[in-house]
Amino acid sequence: MAPTTTTLSLPLSSLGLPDEPDLVRMRRERGARIRSIMGEMGIDALVLLSNSNVSYATGATWPLSDGGRANAERPVAVILADDLQPHLFTPYLADAAAELGLDENHLHGPTYLDFDEGVALFAEALAELVPGSATIAVDDVTGAMHHDHKLLFAEWPPRAASEVMGPSRLVKTRDELACLRHSLWITEQAMHEVQANLAPGARQTDLTALFLHRVFELGAEANVLDPIWQVMPDHQADLPWTVHGDIACPLLSTERELHEGDVLWVDSGIMYGGYHSDFGRTWVVGAEPTPRQQEQYERWSEINDAVVSLMRGGVVAADLTAAAKALHGGEQPWMAHFYLGHGLGLDSAEAPYVGTDLGDAYDQRQVLEPGTVLVIEPVIWDEGHSGYRSENVYVITDDGCVNLSDFDDAPYGPTDGGAA
Amino acid sequence: MRTETDPDAPALRNGRRERAFAAMEEFDLDVLVLGRPANIRYVSGVPMLWNAGTRPFGPGCVAVRDGQGIHLLSTWDEGVPEEIPHDHLYGITWNPMNFVEVLKGIGAPVGRIGTDAMSPLFAQLLPMAFPGSDIVDAGPALRSARRIKTAEEVDAIRAAVGVADHALAAALEALRPGVSRRELTAVFMAAMASAGVTTPSTQDVVRIESTGTGGSGLVVGEGDLVEFDAGVVAGGYAGEVGRTWPAGKLSDRAGLGDLYRRWEELWGRLMDACRPGAPASDLLDAYRASGEQIPVAPIARGLGMGFDDPVVTRRLPQVAAREHLDPGVVLVITGCVFDGAVGSVVAQQPVLITDHGPEVLSSSPFWTPELAGAVAGER
Repeated sequence: MAPTTTTLSLPLSSLGLPDEPDLVRMRRERGARIRSIMGEMGIDALVLLSNSNVSYATGATWPLSDGGRANAERPVAVILADDLQPHLFTPYLADAAAELGLDENHLHGPTYLDFDEGVALFAEALAELVPGSATIAVDDVTGAMHHDHKLLFAEWPPRAASEVMGPSRLVKTRDELACLRHSLWITEQAMHEVQANLAPGARQTDLTALFLHRVFELGAEANVLDPIWQVMPDHQADLPWTVHGDIACPLLSTERELHEGDVLWVDSGIMYGGYHSDFGRTWVVGAEPTPRQQEQYERWSEINDAVVSLMRGGVVAADLTAAAKALHGGEQPWMAHFYLGHGLGLDSAEAPYVGTDLGDAYDQRQVLEPGTVLVIEPVIWDEGHSGYRSENVYVITDDGCVNLSDFDDAPYGPTDGGAA
Repeated sequence: MRTETDPDAPALRNGRRERAFAAMEEFDLDVLVLGRPANIRYVSGVPMLWNAGTRPFGPGCVAVRDGQGIHLLSTWDEGVPEEIPHDHLYGITWNPMNFVEVLKGIGAPVGRIGTDAMSPLFAQLLPMAFPGSDIVDAGPALRSARRIKTAEEVDAIRAAVGVADHALAAALEALRPGVSRRELTAVFMAAMASAGVTTPSTQDVVRIESTGTGGSGLVVGEGDLVEFDAGVVAGGYAGEVGRTWPAGKLSDRAGLGDLYRRWEELWGRLMDACRPGAPASDLLDAYRASGEQIPVAPIARGLGMGFDDPVVTRRLPQVAAREHLDPGVVLVITGCVFDGAVGSVVAQQPVLITDHGPEVLSSSPFWTPELAGAVAGER
């Protein structure tokens, strides 16, 4: 097996992560962070609807549904600046009572905020928790909440909960990192099995079946992304048309059969403890990479290493993008509709985003703090010869960064025989 | 076998689009700005990458009533039908002001702009994108369009239920004392994906009620009641079915047969309530008439692209009384009976309301008292 190219980062042991995440401590520390920022922002109450914010603020986790059903069955949280316990409105009352240790008066039955009747009932409950003069912030608003906003909010538009949730979720605690690492571990174990079974004749959906079977066996709470096994052609013209002229990726998996020599761009993610993994590699079906493909990998490695070598607490995001571009003829070695890097936590992609269309001025203002998780995903497209893409999950520390991913780059890898 | 990502078939997407534009007319909406994946697929007919869970609001699709133009957030044209030309596609952006420019560029008339959701940010941006227009809730219009299924939609739901039945059968085959909740979920997911469908509608597939012996809630014990909630999303449509099966040698479970007979009696009353045109609240009355406690979760939900009308729960009595079970409504109905000593039997059935009454769409088997003494897995 070829070693990974991440020797520039510090060892995982340097993080001192607990063997098992302490979920009580994790809840307590996240709650304290939220309430502290609420105080700074002058926000008295948060009304949270998004699955990830509810999970972060309450500690509740549940196997996420399809988006359609998730809207009907979503738990809702109300967080008060002066209350150590969150209020949770949930259809999973028995689970929440057992797992979260909430007082009975903080556990409420499900709400149905897509309906005017449901909004009116929720408004009554909210009025009992929050005085009318309070400043309320909210993340998402259903159509019925918009329609009946006077029942819920003194002002329209209401304050945005992202003012609190954004900065609070940006820096991870050790227990959050332990959840994330375990989520990655489950993903990687499953991917080893998929890779071992990768052969001409397999369908993309067969790979998904193997992957799903293994991650659920290993304790994944949910799959969060329909796995991508995109066959990358040699020429961009064989990919769909795009609005920006760059390559189209990620494309949906189908029952398409794989052939020998197919270049596969793999992308997937699962959830454990509420935390989403992210996995990205390039594989070749039933063959070794050609020298040209190996060269693509080496160019990718060079860029990745240059970026990673700069990552430490206090680094400016624009310095990362500049280092990547400098090794790529001044062009950005990532897809035009994405980024060089993105955060990871209770969403598959979350702040910070590095190298987006928000532009260089935005990246100049982004200073990455220790405890920030950043998935680095440069892309090498070699027109006429397909390309290489891979992603690794790093956490930034005071004096460097740690690669939380633990998966080799086979069948690509250093050809000099050295385990760098 | 599906080896390409194609748009939804013309008859399917045209039928839906007609209903969507008719609802815009009826509810006096000039423009729809849609953020929910199910609504976007309903109007556009384009398969999109599946993610689990709720998503923050963003303008993923815009429909303009005058001229019936559809504009779509899609960086590429894979799966995009001919009626959405390239210049009606716009790419992912991280700068919300770019969305304002895109929306302005559509050239929508001043009028009533309906959205299916909202956020504090877009509550500020949408008035900038549509100056002079009213921004209103499009939820009632969209629900009205989606609640009655076209014939093609019913076919799509039947196909999805077929995959759910297939994957549930695989999980039931694996059910025996000693098997874990994880393993049963894994078997269900693998069977679903092997059938060519990689997206579940729920991932809370297995619940073990440790009423037997030797189990833990995480591992099935002898005589435990195991509840399966089998749901898949195929071609954008949810197919859902649920069953409760006891595990292992069953003849020694006193009261189990009675509990299942209570379920059958309740189910009979629920089916009687599914008369075409009846108020959805008749389903709640069916529970009351059989003397069974109405569960906290909805006892019926519309089945379509995720969550549709009607939603029938005891917490929303006005909604239940207002909704009618008109022909063309498809819903998943939950029968739930409970006994303190024996446990719960919960089963969901996907049901199509026809002119002649209810039609159950699932063929998944039920445990029956006659199977007592048999060993699960040797059926």
